[in-house]
Amino acid sequence: MNPAPSPASVAFRRLLIVISVAIGLVVFAYGWSVTEINFDKPQEPLRQQNFGNAIREILSPDLLERDYEIKVGSTAFLVECKAGEEAPATAPAPSDSSPYLVVTPTCADSGTPIMIQGFNFYPNSLARLTWVANDGTRSIQQIVGNTKDNFVTNDDGRFNAQIVVPKIRGSAGKVSTIETQGYFPTGAPHFTNTTALVLQKMVETIFLALIATAISILPSAVISIFAAHNLMRPVRISLGNLLVMVALLPVGWWIGTNLLVQLGHLILGLSHAGTVLAGGTASLVVFGAVTTSRTRSLEFNPFSGRMRSVFNTLLMVLACVIVVTIVAVTFLFIGRMFTTGIPGYLSNLFGSIGELIELLIAPICGVIGAFGLASIGGVLTVDGLKKLDPTMQHVVGGILGAISGAIVLGAMALIGMQAAWLGFLTPIVAGILGAQLLPLLYTKLSGKKQTSIAGRSLDSILWWVGFIAAFAVTFLTLNMGLAIIEGTLPPASSVTTIGFITISNYILDAMIIGIVLGGAGGLSVGTKGIFPLGEVLYQTTRTILNTTRAIEPLIIALIFSILVGIGPFAGVLARTLHSIASRAKLYSEQIESIDTGPIEALQSTGANRLQTIMYAVVPQVIPPFVSFTMYRWDINVRMSTIIGFVGGGGIGFVLQQQINLAQYRGAGVAVLAIAIVVSILDYLSATIRERYV
Amino acid sequence: MLVIENLTKVYENGFIALKGINLEIPDGQFVAIIGLSGSGKSTLLRCINRLIEPTSGRIIWNGLDITAAPDDELRVIRRRIGMIFQQFNLVKRASVMSNVLSGRLGYVNPVYSLLNYFPRQDREKAIMALKRVGIEDKAQNRAGMLSGGQQQRVGIARALMQDPEMMLADEPVASLDPATSHSVMKYLQLLNKEDGISVLCSLHFLSLARTYADRVIALKDGKLEFDGSPKDIDEDRFRQIYGEDAVQVEIH
Repeated sequence: MNPAPSPASVAFRRLLIVISVAIGLVVFAYGWSVTEINFDKPQEPLRQQNFGNAIREILSPDLLERDYEIKVGSTAFLVECKAGEEAPATAPAPSDSSPYLVVTPTCADSGTPIMIQGFNFYPNSLARLTWVANDGTRSIQQIVGNTKDNFVTNDDGRFNAQIVVPKIRGSAGKVSTIETQGYFPTGAPHFTNTTALVLQKMVETIFLALIATAISILPSAVISIFAAHNLMRPVRISLGNLLVMVALLPVGWWIGTNLLVQLGHLILGLSHAGTVLAGGTASLVVFGAVTTSRTRSLEFNPFSGRMRSVFNTLLMVLACVIVVTIVAVTFLFIGRMFTTGIPGYLSNLFGSIGELIELLIAPICGVIGAFGLASIGGVLTVDGLKKLDPTMQHVVGGILGAISGAIVLGAMALIGMQAAWLGFLTPIVAGILGAQLLPLLYTKLSGKKQTSIAGRSLDSILWWVGFIAAFAVTFLTLNMGLAIIEGTLPPASSVTTIGFITISNYILDAMIIGIVLGGAGGLSVGTKGIFPLGEVLYQTTRTILNTTRAIEPLIIALIFSILVGIGPFAGVLARTLHSIASRAKLYSEQIESIDTGPIEALQSTGANRLQTIMYAVVPQVIPPFVSFTMYRWDINVRMSTIIGFVGGGGIGFVLQQQINLAQYRGAGVAVLAIAIVVSILDYLSATIRERYV
Repeated sequence: MLVIENLTKVYENGFIALKGINLEIPDGQFVAIIGLSGSGKSTLLRCINRLIEPTSGRIIWNGLDITAAPDDELRVIRRRIGMIFQQFNLVKRASVMSNVLSGRLGYVNPVYSLLNYFPRQDREKAIMALKRVGIEDKAQNRAGMLSGGQQQRVGIARALMQDPEMMLADEPVASLDPATSHSVMKYLQLLNKEDGISVLCSLHFLSLARTYADRVIALKDGKLEFDGSPKDIDEDRFRQIYGEDAVQVEIH
């Protein structure tokens, strides 16, 4: 039982509530003014009229139209009745039910109202009166009480119209003709051009969303693994191993982009027979890679095990390059096969993918080479690193740390050189590296890990001190203040030549800081230290995802349309990027909520990490993944309806066009189409999700 | 022979789960580990196959230093150590067959396994394993649809796929009713007697330990409190292990 609160504390709590309500009210009131809510403008009559018109027209979509033919009924008329002269007789009712007019009287002075009766016109349709003077000049006559040229016939196709005999010079005493053009619909109602355009753009919109959703499935599923805390937290690696791998990454990249890529180009340049031959070799290599990856022996033999692992990785690297390029060659070949019809679409699809691989072959080879070499290096050094005596552990750790630090900060500086705000990457990463040093030193000096509250707070203070110090030093060394204020980039001319390598001073400075920080870190931890690789990957992935999601897809579309031109492709790219970022987060949350028991169980059977994910994680997350994918498609269609406003293609383009032209009836068609498609998709995705999950 | 030397585990929050455990377990023994909740039973079992990373000490199994093994070597060692769990730890949405086959992942070709391909002899082996635990007719059922006892037997079948030389069982019957508990324990006993697999099994009930185990190890606050034959646990020993207020509960 809690003790009863004292009256003072009750009063204090109430006071707090009153104050917070008052503050809330002020904040709300301020928001009210900021958003310029006022009711004066809506009271202006012109605005009300325009508003009413716009609403009325949007709600009368210009959906259907009919074709018309114009039939004419006419009768003669004498201007100025003269004694002794016969007024022309009213045209008699024709026998074939074509339209005719009866005018009373049949002669009159100009300025006199006369009555015209029409018969046999189309019921409830438009008609207009034309006065044809004796010399053939035509003028449209508005009927009395009407402000428009057209008038509407009544239910049985007749009309009674009063007009005033016009004053036309030289017509007095002559016979003029009164004509009535009546609109007669022909054929069934059909869609307007606007409707056709809207339908076409709606299809484009749906496919835009579909393609963006489909492309983003695989990347977001893969990224979501890195963004799932429960999977990443246990991923740790000994610092020595990690540093060896990081140090080898650029070497591997160099090998990939210079040597492996030759193999790629060779295959890409092959004739068809050559391709077949290469395909054969590739399948052999793949088969070799696949079969040797089996661990046959029951006991683990460090040497032969490692050798096989190295051999395996080499084969895998070659197999990857060969398979990727063969896929590209095959796709390019398919791309040239057909141009029309359904095969044409398929050709185009595969051809584009082939082209993409061909364009990216160098970086693909670079990545394969980098990870291949890092993996080989890691395997080969694992025993050696284990055998180091404690002093050597720290010495080797320091050397490897210096190299890795230089590489990491050099890479950051390379990115940071491209734009002023990207420049922040280098000091931030340097800060994070530097932040580790003081707590490490403290732990070392006190001889144990800090578990008390005081110890941990001191730890985090030391962390921040290190971070700020390293950040500041890097910030000042790279002269970033200038870049941020002036928006200037580091001068390309300021370079240093070491041996045969020419390197930008900016990168060199960053690398020197990396050598100091990495070296110090490696030296104090030693190669046996445990590096929380998973945690670092998790934090990095999360940060990138959150940043990407924060950028509105409309803005992304705007930027992409600079690269790929205005049209649906820009929209696809924007929606894909946004879908990847937001779905990776949703997926990762699903992964985080799975039952971790099976993961533990599969790890205990000796399954590797990828197998554990495939067999323990994937079966559990497939239903929510499908559900979220449907949901995402739904959202993508909604969002794609407006992406056309910024040049992203789809129905937004029509909508914007019609609104800008004040064609609200046309806009109404687009609004109607969006409403129908969105509600159908809403219903469909809800039904499918319900059934599947 | 499993040798545990001076095994200590300190969790990141500072909790000391194991304090210098020393043990020698010859091959083929059925060892029950008893003790109160939080006494370190689960931690001890998980340290043996390094599901939990020990803080210090060594674990040597048939001459292999488990605690020092790098990842790839550790996986090869883990293949020969089966493990079953209190919560069965099956993928409930997957079929029984697929759950059992996943016990073979350490042996099969990793590339093939990612394509969900298992060699025929492994599929036959899985049927045999299910036959041994008496549920071969459930092979195509969803694992989650089975009763608790059946699920635990799927867990045993999965461990059997590893051709284990040692079996770790973390409270295998704590979620089951008494009758089912006995049937699951009987299967473990069978593996121990027929195949000569060493069994390390943590248990809540002393009566189960008395029925099935050759040897009982008792943990208290992360320390070894008792190590000997189940017959030697008399009322005083029992109080020592479980505390002064404890009363023995029989499970039949």
